[in-house]
Amino acid sequence: MMPPDPTTPGGALLVLAILLPCAGIILSFVLGGRNAERVALGLTPFGFALACAIAFHVASAGKPIVYALGGLAPPLGIALRADGVSAVMLVAAAVILTAAGFYARAKFATPEGGPESRSALTFWIMLQAIWAALTIIFVGGDLFNLYVALELLTFAAVPLVCIDGRPETLAAALRYLLFALFGSISYLLGVALFYGAYGTLDIPLLAQRVQSTPIVWLAAALMTGGLLAKTALFPLHLWLPPAHANAPAAASAVLSGLVVKGSFFLTLRLWFYVLPALSAAGAANILGALALAAIITGSVLALRQARLKLLIAYSTVAQIGYLFLVFPLATGAHVWSGIGWSAGVMQILAHAFAKAAMFLSAGLLAEALGHDQIARFAGAARALPMTFLTLGLGGLSLMGLPPSGGFSAKWLMLQASVASGQWVWTLPVLAGGLLAAGYVYRILTPALSEGDIMLKAPPKRSREAIALGLALIALALGFAPQGFFDLLEIGRPLAAGTLQ
Amino acid sequence: MSHLSSTLLVASLAAPLALLAACFVKNWRPRALALQWLAPAPGLAAGLLGLTAAPASFDLPGLGFTLRLDPPGALLLAAASLLWIVVTAAVWRERAPDERFGLSWLLTMAGSLGVFIAGDLVSFYLVYALVSIPAYGLFAFSDDAEKKRAGAIYMAFAILGEALLLLAFAALAAGEPHGSSRIADMMAALPASPWRDAILALIVAGFGMKMGLIPFNGWMPLNYAAAPIPAAAVLSGAGVKAGVIGLIRFLPLGVPLQGWGEALAALGFLTAIYGVLLGLTQQNPKTILAYSSISQMGVIAAALGMALGAGDISASGDVAFYAANHLLVKAALFLTIGALAMRGAPLGGWTLALAATLALSLAGLPFTGGALAKLASKAQFVSGWAASLATLSSIGTALLMTHFVARLDAPPPDAARECPSALVRFWPAVALGAILLPWLFFPAFGYVSKALEIAKIWEGLWPVLLGVGLALGLRRLGWTAPRVPAGDSIVLFEGAFTRLLALGPGFETLDARLRQWPAAGVSLLLIVLALLAAGVLG
Repeated sequence: MMPPDPTTPGGALLVLAILLPCAGIILSFVLGGRNAERVALGLTPFGFALACAIAFHVASAGKPIVYALGGLAPPLGIALRADGVSAVMLVAAAVILTAAGFYARAKFATPEGGPESRSALTFWIMLQAIWAALTIIFVGGDLFNLYVALELLTFAAVPLVCIDGRPETLAAALRYLLFALFGSISYLLGVALFYGAYGTLDIPLLAQRVQSTPIVWLAAALMTGGLLAKTALFPLHLWLPPAHANAPAAASAVLSGLVVKGSFFLTLRLWFYVLPALSAAGAANILGALALAAIITGSVLALRQARLKLLIAYSTVAQIGYLFLVFPLATGAHVWSGIGWSAGVMQILAHAFAKAAMFLSAGLLAEALGHDQIARFAGAARALPMTFLTLGLGGLSLMGLPPSGGFSAKWLMLQASVASGQWVWTLPVLAGGLLAAGYVYRILTPALSEGDIMLKAPPKRSREAIALGLALIALALGFAPQGFFDLLEIGRPLAAGTLQ
Repeated sequence: MSHLSSTLLVASLAAPLALLAACFVKNWRPRALALQWLAPAPGLAAGLLGLTAAPASFDLPGLGFTLRLDPPGALLLAAASLLWIVVTAAVWRERAPDERFGLSWLLTMAGSLGVFIAGDLVSFYLVYALVSIPAYGLFAFSDDAEKKRAGAIYMAFAILGEALLLLAFAALAAGEPHGSSRIADMMAALPASPWRDAILALIVAGFGMKMGLIPFNGWMPLNYAAAPIPAAAVLSGAGVKAGVIGLIRFLPLGVPLQGWGEALAALGFLTAIYGVLLGLTQQNPKTILAYSSISQMGVIAAALGMALGAGDISASGDVAFYAANHLLVKAALFLTIGALAMRGAPLGGWTLALAATLALSLAGLPFTGGALAKLASKAQFVSGWAASLATLSSIGTALLMTHFVARLDAPPPDAARECPSALVRFWPAVALGAILLPWLFFPAFGYVSKALEIAKIWEGLWPVLLGVGLALGLRRLGWTAPRVPAGDSIVLFEGAFTRLLALGPGFETLDARLRQWPAAGVSLLLIVLALLAAGVLG
């Protein structure tokens, strides 16, 4: 029996971080109208501050911070835990959700004194629900708890897809909902198997108890399959392109940048935190092969899209593939596993910021031009220099050119591939970069060429600045110091090269 | 490293970057772009100081970047800075180009100067990307189909080269045992690296693309024909040298690697001869110069190959000198096309003499800078087949350059408009500078008096005379070379690319099938089963 898992200093912050958006949701419901927007935006600085405080605590303590709900240690109670990766993800989510919120003010504002619109109220509440769900996912320490958060995430994300009620968005949202439910069932089955076999769902306790039995592998396979469906890893991506391409820009940025990362984060938790004791090289290679297929197919299809938003959505399919390369590159306790781990987290962050910036820019572009047909972009860069600068900088990170987080991620992935002797994974990394260069070229070249263009309405400078800010963060990640990578190692079970 | 030189070294990179930062403020942008001719000044000073100083590194605190200056880098930095100052000042004096072009120019300049001083892998990769990719904006934003084609092909090779180098660099970093990212430490560890051969192949292919070594030479003629003359001058002069410094930095010259050395030398000589032969089939003076660049880069690759085979680390200085001479002369030759086109009068008298001397400097005409460059490269081509091939390439260069001078009478239609008037007025000074400046630099690398020995003069003269005589003789006989489209083998790459594009619809069909509900359900089931099987059986 393990010793009780006591609450550490700073542990209460985790509860606060979850309660804050939940309180926001209730307040928004109760106050309604313009107040929903005020509450949602007003709480963002506090959410950001809490995330930073948690990161600060984790970094200064050098170990995860824990809060045992009701003072009961697992397996009796439920624990919340924030390690290095959780802390970084909390901050990233806070930044992107805040940016998306302020960007969306123009579209989802409620006029002074007027009646509240259904879409505005839905948007502000769902935005906070996503924040709450992601926070629980990043700090949850119990597999069932995480299932609840995963459901909350899905049910908050689906309405964002069909918020403007057009028939095609409804179809896309339904597709998303149905397939995500498949995923949920699969995940829940796996959770039930774990509970039946070991009587606990607490991650560290399970990690100590699991053995390489068929039941464990079945549970892991079912949970992974469910999570892959929700993450839209190729070939389970049927819902992603229509959903992400048809949602309003602010929603697309959150869906592509953060929501798919939520279920991916749980996949990481499962393999690296629940099952680190098992030799999972075979499973890791299967995930790597799917990643390879995702990168190539997603990038090629991105190259062939006529609409900018669809192009960016297919680029997400490819970039999700990159995320899954972390499995062959970081599984096990090798000297190169740490490099692969850093690469994987860097890829999450770089893609989150770059993709959010690009979707926000695509939204501005579509509003200013009245369409997002790439073939009709001639001269657009002159009319919208800042928007295209953002698209270019985001593209720079997707291509993996320095200085950018995308470059750091690819650089580390290549090093891990070479050092581990798995040269095969250099192929998707490099080919994906080349293909990304192709689709970024396709966006920028017509825009930079000569042409007269009529703007329906010039975009607001502040909204352009928000998108550019996110793209600049994606670039700044390229300068991440060693201390940042040390933070990512905090709480990783095999970080020291041995089992805890 | 002294305080002054480290300050200058940082300023060499900081000055263009500061102007770039200023460009983000809309009102400052025109002023910043107009002032960019001053940006290479610290680089020029640092280069001149570093010519005779011992190699030294400077770590930028906080960023983890290292700057390093050694005499080969210093020479190329000084020559490139000078070129950028002259051409930039002339272009902006005429009239400010549009901002798109101005920004591309500034970015390319920053990268072009940076490659000579970057001392660690990541910053080298960064500045190398800067000198390669933004150069697209110097010639490809146009409605002209041929320029668009040149731009797309240039970009494809630039990005492909970047990808190969990224893999090479990652393998280098993974093989360095102490976690250092300095290039010097990487090179020390490379000969013992388990991935040595793969890394060397990637390095040669990656930088070879930048230098136009065969079979990756086809982009260069298209690029230089499409680029306006000032852009062609800086790209052919300074831009291409990023590939040269790359090979100098990333070949482990201190350890003899005979097989690799011979392979690189053979590739180099093949490129040198190929460039001459294909150049003779061209009519556009810009294209002829591009093929001459291909040929000269071949000579450089051959020299580096010989040095690699012999384990001769001192070759880096000699090769840098050869490259610096090419940098000045090739840029001056591009400006010559414009200057003479603007004068309009048929070539004759001293103009012809000056243009011919400048052109033949590339072939090593005695008393020109080219004679010194040849002397420097001789150290690698001491005897046997290498010496014969080097002489053959000199003859070929003289032949090709005579062809070029003859074609100066028929410049491309835009040549007169593209060349800034200041450069036309000062063209004699530019040409003389390119011929004579190498004499000022040479004492840092060898003894000038050696170039003035009678035997050496004759040794340099006869291949030039032979080449010129051959060219004139062929002209008299009325022989014309068959016409080969500029870019020669590029059509094969384009064909392969078209076939790749034809795979696209297949991917779309696949995607449409997989995104059907039943297919997705089956996929999910299969993935779960596969993971289960991998776990249970593994």
